[in-house]
Amino acid sequence: MQPFVEPDYLPALPELFLAGASVTLLMAGVFIGDRSTRLMTWLACVAMAAAFVMVLVLPDERTTTFFGLFVTDRFAAFMKCLVLVGAAVTLIVGLGYVKREGMNRFEFPVLIVFATLGMLLMISANDLIALYVGLELQSLSLYIVAAFRRDSLRSTEAGLKYFVLGAISSGLLLYGCSMVYGFTGVTGFEGIAEALATTVPGNVAAETGVLIGLVFIAAALAFKVSAVPFHMWTPDVYEGAPTPVTAFFAAAPKVAAMALLLRVFLGPFHELAGQWDQIIIFVSIASMGLGAFAAIGQKNIKRLMAYSSIGHVGYALVGLSAGTPEGIRGVLVYMLIYMVMTLGGFACILAMRQRGQMVEEISDLSGLSKTNPSLALALAIFMFSMAGIPPLAGFFGKLYVFLAAVDEGLYGLAIFGVLASVVGAYYYIRIVKVMYFDQPAEGFDRPVGVELSAVLAGTGIITLFFFAYPAPILAGAEAAAAALMP
Amino acid sequence: MIIQTIMFYVLAVVTVGAGVMVIASRNPVHSVLFLILAFFNSAGLFVMMGAEFLAMILIIVYVGAVAVLFLFVVMMLNINFAELRAGFLQYLPIGGVIGIILLAELVLVFASGAIDIEVPTTVASPTPPADEITNTQALGDVLYTHYAYLFQGAGFILLIAMVGAIVLTHRRRADVRRQRITDQVARDPKATVQVTDIEPGAEGTWKSD
Amino acid sequence: MLYYAAPIFLPLFGAVIAGLFGRVIGARGAQLVTCGAMGVAAVMAIVVFTEVVLQGETATIVLFDWFASGDLDVDWLLRFDELTGVMVFVVCVVSFLIHVYSIGYMAHDPHVPRFFAYLSLFTFFMLALVSADNFLQMFFGWEGVGLVSYLLIGFWYKRPSANAAAIKAFIVNRVGDFGFALGILAIFLMFDTVSFDAVFSGAPGMVDAEVTFLGHSFDFLEVACILLFVGAMGKSAQFLLHTWLPDAMEGPTPVSALIHAATMVTAGVFMVARLSPIFEYAPIALSVVTFFGATTAIFAATIAITQNDIKRVIAYSTCSQLGYMFFACGVSAYGAGIFHLTTHAFFKALLFLGAGAVIHAMSDEQDMRKMGGIWRMIPVTYVLMWIGNLALAGIFPFSGFFSKDIILESAFASHTGLGMYAFGLGILAAFLTAFYSWRLLFLTFHGKPRADERVMAHVHEAPPVMWVPLVGLAIGAVVIGYLMLPMVATDIDFWGTSILVLPIHNALEEAHHVDFWVKALPMAVGVLGIGGAFLFYVLKPELPGQLATRARPVYLFLLNKWYFDELYDILFVRSAKYLGRNLWRQGDGAVIDGIGPDGIAAATLSVARRAVRLQSGYVYHYAFAMLLGLAAIVTWYLIAGR
Repeated sequence: MQPFVEPDYLPALPELFLAGASVTLLMAGVFIGDRSTRLMTWLACVAMAAAFVMVLVLPDERTTTFFGLFVTDRFAAFMKCLVLVGAAVTLIVGLGYVKREGMNRFEFPVLIVFATLGMLLMISANDLIALYVGLELQSLSLYIVAAFRRDSLRSTEAGLKYFVLGAISSGLLLYGCSMVYGFTGVTGFEGIAEALATTVPGNVAAETGVLIGLVFIAAALAFKVSAVPFHMWTPDVYEGAPTPVTAFFAAAPKVAAMALLLRVFLGPFHELAGQWDQIIIFVSIASMGLGAFAAIGQKNIKRLMAYSSIGHVGYALVGLSAGTPEGIRGVLVYMLIYMVMTLGGFACILAMRQRGQMVEEISDLSGLSKTNPSLALALAIFMFSMAGIPPLAGFFGKLYVFLAAVDEGLYGLAIFGVLASVVGAYYYIRIVKVMYFDQPAEGFDRPVGVELSAVLAGTGIITLFFFAYPAPILAGAEAAAAALMP
Repeated sequence: MIIQTIMFYVLAVVTVGAGVMVIASRNPVHSVLFLILAFFNSAGLFVMMGAEFLAMILIIVYVGAVAVLFLFVVMMLNINFAELRAGFLQYLPIGGVIGIILLAELVLVFASGAIDIEVPTTVASPTPPADEITNTQALGDVLYTHYAYLFQGAGFILLIAMVGAIVLTHRRRADVRRQRITDQVARDPKATVQVTDIEPGAEGTWKSD
Repeated sequence: MLYYAAPIFLPLFGAVIAGLFGRVIGARGAQLVTCGAMGVAAVMAIVVFTEVVLQGETATIVLFDWFASGDLDVDWLLRFDELTGVMVFVVCVVSFLIHVYSIGYMAHDPHVPRFFAYLSLFTFFMLALVSADNFLQMFFGWEGVGLVSYLLIGFWYKRPSANAAAIKAFIVNRVGDFGFALGILAIFLMFDTVSFDAVFSGAPGMVDAEVTFLGHSFDFLEVACILLFVGAMGKSAQFLLHTWLPDAMEGPTPVSALIHAATMVTAGVFMVARLSPIFEYAPIALSVVTFFGATTAIFAATIAITQNDIKRVIAYSTCSQLGYMFFACGVSAYGAGIFHLTTHAFFKALLFLGAGAVIHAMSDEQDMRKMGGIWRMIPVTYVLMWIGNLALAGIFPFSGFFSKDIILESAFASHTGLGMYAFGLGILAAFLTAFYSWRLLFLTFHGKPRADERVMAHVHEAPPVMWVPLVGLAIGAVVIGYLMLPMVATDIDFWGTSILVLPIHNALEEAHHVDFWVKALPMAVGVLGIGGAFLFYVLKPELPGQLATRARPVYLFLLNKWYFDELYDILFVRSAKYLGRNLWRQGDGAVIDGIGPDGIAAATLSVARRAVRLQSGYVYHYAFAMLLGLAAIVTWYLIAGR
């Protein structure tokens, strides 16, 4: 037995810190009780901010630790920053909701921190087992927060559905992992990549086996990013879960799962790029199409956002199917812009209260431009941006992925994407139409709250003025993409 | 060698058969019992692979705890499974077809692997030689060192599961009087016990708080 | 050097504060913030002018990388050379004075913060335009001033005429902007960059480059320059694209002064001067510029003599003066063009604001036929209007004299057919300029009062906050011509590298050596014009009426502005409406709606309904869908994928 050497803990500093912080918050919450929820929320945000800073100050170059289970590089740093910001912002926008809607329990922020920790582990996973542990850590927390309003039938239903289907996807993932392990003999990503480059080629059985294993893994990851045909849970869960939780689902876990998807496909299975891009193209087209068409009939805005997020995943995957560093950069930029728009959109939805009650129907937005012009303007900006109208941020997100696809000769995919976004524009702009041209309904409660206003203003400004100074984001995404695809 | 092969097929067939019965049997109690049977046979398969620790864990944890808990829950909840199952048969044909296709494909993959001798050589040796070190010790050697990261991660998952169970089910009921031991211990007799001289025959001199 | 950026961004700061927090800080606060910011900006602009132009410390300030997309790599830079220095100086100083004037003029308006925010925002965009270092930044400023101009013309949005004028200005400008955008595109196609420096240094190598379009090949530089000039025509209201400018007088008078006289309309001239390193290699394009400039100069002047609205007269006069600037550029006398731009900015702003003071005094009356005989009541305004008109007519020693003289001399000295065309028309226009200027003066201030008594009783001098800025402009109108004479001097290299003139295009240098009669003629016809106006409107006031009846067709032709509005109405508006209606009825209604969008929309909805129906809510359906997808992919790989 080889002597044991302590691993280097420094690269995992943000994760270790967040793990410690989550347990500390949990203990503090137990002793102080539910009246500490607000404090806990802010402390959780502070912890995430601290982790954010740690991610930034850590060295950029690729480092592995914990005996190859854990990896950090620029790509991981970029994605972790997104996830941490997304999680902290959803906690902040949810403050008012949590207080009013009977979710005022200190476990909520703590569970969000646990979930965020899981996402960070996912992003830094460098081994199939580490991937699974991170994914489960995240998923389990998400199942719980989805059902967090346990007195609400819809919330519990959402949690249960998500749990059952998530368990199936975990089963698929494990099955796929076991096949890959069986045919390559390793679980580490570098080992798999090496095996695929050296021992597997020429061996028909191993080639097929690994490929089918990859299909299972891909299916599980597609479930996590809610790509068609593994998306079915999304509308129900988004609609049923408490709104801040939905905002969280739409922002952080999606980014983390996308990061994992990129790392798995471009890291260990890079050799099989010619094979898996068929899955990605299929899934991408199906997601764009479904996201565009199914959203049209929706009346509930959270459900609409669910389909919208399915569509957005489809667009982002266009960049992955290009398989070039430009394409990956496109995906990263897309995810960033998507997260900003989604957070803004959900901040608007969280402001939809009439006489103290949350409302979620699109018809409730009628004539919002008269009753609350600034909220209407903000939502209109996000909707136009999601529809991809220039010069808003969403347009650039689409532009970069489509350009990458066209550069690789994937004209059909790009054309389909543009067509789908045209169809998608219909339902986004319908919301604008309802707000600006329909007879005013009863206005929403005012004030919307300082936290919501601040988030609305921040996300709105980024969406509106992304075009003026995109250089730092593009540079960051480019460096991250280069780390993944040297 | 031949005995081992026979044992393997017996155990494997029973495991799969029991698995099918778990979802096929009408009585939920039978389902759980079939589940336990499947676990036992899986444990047997583990033993055959030399992973006796995992085999014991499977028996102790899954059979001893999880499956028994299932059994209790099933018996306590008294759910009408026949009703739930009504939709089941409706989708059985198409579901069965898809399942069989998937199964056939997987068999195809593995069958080609079984014919091809090359594959096993790529598989790393999973366990150290049994005559040098026991299975349990071998696991322990890596679990708390090289895989400490995963071990801690798994610990967090369990913690979350616990927190989740409490959050989703624990209720503080308002109509139940709880025993507050600290209050009882800290109580000062002087504040509650009042010693009064009562004149025999006198009326109504109680001072009430 | 970073403080060079201060005059550019201070107006933006003022606009943002006044625009976003106007309700909080109130009218007074908005005025203070915007005027304060503009005041500091004006001082800084003088500093910039001194350092950049007089001391030659040109600089390029990098703000940040804007974006990079493929070959297109655009930085956000501020370019400070002599040309920018002059423009920043003119824009900031004039804009500051107009800001101050507006405090008085807009005192009774309920939307003061909005007005000042627009005014400052406009100044920012104008400064962004003149300090641009690449075509895209210039386009940004260009579109920005267009937008704010639209907002300001339609400032009184409750007046239908203001809205119509705003829309008209926007659409006519759009025609020009389309040309400008195509020009930029052409430049990018050939040079693979939009940076000025790179394009300028590459221009000589592109002289013989050709583009093929519809089977014909064209000289590339000529095409690009003409396209760019179309943009300039739109913004500077040149012949054919001029129709929006007179209508733009629907906006408040300070707006007319700032945007439609002093700054924005001169953007076209500035652009041609800025792009002189390209235009110099495109002789045909320069001829086009000369032709349109000269034509506009005479055309607008003829209209101006018949108009009765005091602001419209000045508007046409602006149009005409812009024509002078263009043909100066057309004969490669860019310095002379910018020189006239500078002097014009002062005296034309003075005239507009003076007209504003008159309108203010006459209880918002703009028709000169209802004025007259008020010079004793508003002596300050009267004197200031005299100064402005003297400068406009080019009478020595007022500033217009220097600039107009040198332009006409350059045209004469260019010794080309078009140069002589420009010279001849320019002399004629100079006569008409003097004539309509004094017509305006006499009709407004002299003669018998034609307004009713109530109005006459109310005539009063403008408050100091209005006339003090006018005095500032008047001083400029008197001295700036002399002070800025080095702009056109041959012995000093005033412009440095900011303007390129090829040695063969030496009109400006030759202009100093023309015969005396050429030098004297402009002023002589100016005096003649004044005399004519005196005869027509003071000595024999019945003459104009007689002339109008005798030469009725000519009079109507001029009064109706050469029937351009009517012509455009028939050519474009009605035919477009006709076409549109038919396309709508036959094309859209029958064909496209039937088969296209409506059909597609219906199909889309049915697909959508089906997609929604998939979502049944049952977990086992969902799980089944997942497995189905998985099985499909696996099957694909096992059968088709291998």
